[in-house]
Amino acid sequence: MQFRKAISEIKGLQYLAEELDLQSPMGKRCLLDSEMLYNETELNIEYDLIDKVIQSIESDPKLIADIQSKLSHLRDIKGTVGNLDANLILDDIELFEIKSFAFHCHGILNLQKDLKQEVISLPNLSGLVDILDPQKSGIPSFYIYDDYSEELAEARKNLRIAKSENGDSEAKLEELFDKAQEIESRVREELCDKIRVFAGDLRTALNQLAHFDLLIAKAKQVIQLSFNRPELVKESTIYNGMFHPMIKDELQKQKKQYQEIDIELQKSVCLITGANMAGKTVVLKTLALCQYLCQFGFFVPASKAKVSLVNRIMLSVGDDQSELNGLSSFASEMMNVNQMVEVAQSHENVLVLVDELARTTNPVEGLAIVNAVADIFYQNNTRSVITTHYSGLNSYFRKLRVKGLDKDFGDQRITKNNINSYMDYSLVEDNTGEVPHEALRIASLLGINKEIVEKAQNQLNMNASKEEIL
Amino acid sequence: MPFLKDIEKYKSLSIVGLEKNTGKTECLNYVLSRLRDSRKQIALTSIGIDGENRDQVTQTHKPEIELNEGMMFVTSEMHYAKRRLFSEVIDVSRQTTSLGRLVTAKTIHSGKVMLSGPANNAEIVRLIADLKAKGVDLTIVDGALSRKSLGSPAVTEAMILATGAALSANIPQLVFKTQYVYDLIQLTEIDSELKPKFRGIENGIWALDESGEVKDTGISSVLMIKKEKDKLFQFGTDFFVSGAVTDQFLDFLKNQKQVNKIRLIIRDFTRVFANPETYYAFVKKGGEIQVLDKTNLVAITINPVSPDGYRLNSDELKLALETKLQVPVFDVKRIENAVS
Repeated sequence: MQFRKAISEIKGLQYLAEELDLQSPMGKRCLLDSEMLYNETELNIEYDLIDKVIQSIESDPKLIADIQSKLSHLRDIKGTVGNLDANLILDDIELFEIKSFAFHCHGILNLQKDLKQEVISLPNLSGLVDILDPQKSGIPSFYIYDDYSEELAEARKNLRIAKSENGDSEAKLEELFDKAQEIESRVREELCDKIRVFAGDLRTALNQLAHFDLLIAKAKQVIQLSFNRPELVKESTIYNGMFHPMIKDELQKQKKQYQEIDIELQKSVCLITGANMAGKTVVLKTLALCQYLCQFGFFVPASKAKVSLVNRIMLSVGDDQSELNGLSSFASEMMNVNQMVEVAQSHENVLVLVDELARTTNPVEGLAIVNAVADIFYQNNTRSVITTHYSGLNSYFRKLRVKGLDKDFGDQRITKNNINSYMDYSLVEDNTGEVPHEALRIASLLGINKEIVEKAQNQLNMNASKEEIL
Repeated sequence: MPFLKDIEKYKSLSIVGLEKNTGKTECLNYVLSRLRDSRKQIALTSIGIDGENRDQVTQTHKPEIELNEGMMFVTSEMHYAKRRLFSEVIDVSRQTTSLGRLVTAKTIHSGKVMLSGPANNAEIVRLIADLKAKGVDLTIVDGALSRKSLGSPAVTEAMILATGAALSANIPQLVFKTQYVYDLIQLTEIDSELKPKFRGIENGIWALDESGEVKDTGISSVLMIKKEKDKLFQFGTDFFVSGAVTDQFLDFLKNQKQVNKIRLIIRDFTRVFANPETYYAFVKKGGEIQVLDKTNLVAITINPVSPDGYRLNSDELKLALETKLQVPVFDVKRIENAVS
């Protein structure tokens, strides 16, 4: 899967991609084209590079800023290099692009020498610079210099003399110009032949610089958002102090605290229960985000992370545009879950994340569906998380419960504006199979119409007394 | 020519023709030939491309500009490829116009080139600033007055207006039409602290209320004025219109009882697309128009010959214009001869 596709599916990933401090157009292309990785060695190489850049930023931030400034001047000359490779004659603008690129690449090569350790190996383009800058001017502007050919210099000189004498007819001047231009074309052709050998180096440099740009951007984001390097493991995926960067940022803007959570995912099913507004969906979204980040070669938003790689991430959070394909929300969810189950049955190594499975149907059958699906995941050892509000889950499933409104509020009044500060979002192992009944309490905290809350409470009381009589 | 002294004071100059074949290119070539000995770094560009295209169709005129050695210019990739001079590529823009990216180059050997340039104001302003950073002292913009163009030559500090027989074969009529544009160029600029309030507005009619706050009248365009006229005066009589001011709109305003209190603020003089009669009637009744960007008119050039060969009396035309307008007037045909 390409990063390009992943960001269209995961909002949090798109947010991070947009926040990346990429300088060059090819840096962006490199990011969007990058493939999800499934191999520990490849990922560790990328993580090592990020670590190197982080160390460089910490020891010499100015130098990295200089490199970034050079990167910002780069243009994506992929097309031009392609033309060079294809034996085409480049025009002055393309030659200018190559010269300018070679200059900046050379500049970055030199800057990198001052770093304690080389991050990216770049080809030495000084031979190309020498050819394209015959006057050793050290500036990237370009034309077919007189230095390339005595004949050209002569023809241009004649033209200049003829013009300054002002005696010659327009036609004669045109003729002289055409002659000079013809020689110029020939010289350009020779020049292109000469620099063609650098096409491979240019292509390598383009890719390496794009990667360098991306690495610096990743490293800066790691520092800025306090991400950490995931340790790649075979067993349980464990996050300590995991957070969702987009939501954390939003809360910070509102001067609110984000509560980081710890979670462990074994190679089996795990059900998360908890009150409304307890952040169950956020947990799922963060898990998906972290897995993608990890496998696209990013560090993850957690203070400590052990991640087990998967071949595919399957997420169902129920905000599909089901109206568009003509299915009801239930039908579209079932189609989605069906896929997950089939993948589980084929024992593919996946991470399955389902938010409030079967919530749009009646609770009796809903519960039955949850138990059935969870059972399939359980039996096939599918790494999966399902959130639910249903009570009566099979006792052998592993269950985590969001603590919820457990704290002592003292005399404080809780409202929808401050509920966030009283909610304890941490997850605890729970063996009861019962889910918290806090919906009415939270609804009333949200300030919904009192009549709804009262009537619902009466209904519950009546049901309770009926049960007692029976 | 004395007006060249004036030009040297400015960082940017546009040359604008009131009609095709009013001698804009001659005027430009003349200015360039005169600046040859100046030590200033000159750069040339154009607004958009539509002017050149029309010329290519009618074949009346070669739109190429003769550039001297050392001058810089900005043109599209397509026109750069067709240049008849030797030049050094200094920069290539990242954004693309309909004719490719914009190339900034420096002339190595004098010769001819076709100019094209950015198509909207923000980009022209950015380009002028960019050229300044590259060491250019004066940027000359080959401008066009066009309803279609989003770019306006009024963003330059100074302007030369080219008029002539192509606009009208009748001297009083020609003077009247030229004076109208002259009057529009002289429209006063609004207070500079008010300017930022209007800069970002892209469409609709906006009002400036008594407290100095900008309010949306809810009228989406001056074309909707007939249907939504009840909304117009809800916040007062100071208005900002970002787009074109049409005949119909000015005519409507002219007939309101508050007309003598109305102050209409527009981007620059090129946004007025009303007949001179309507405009003058609006002003006579006490209405006022002000602009965000005002340019300084340094000279008017005339081309007494029309494309179909009709020739006006140059001295008579020059005298008539100079008497009416407080600005020096030059005949491009004569100054051309004077040079060679």
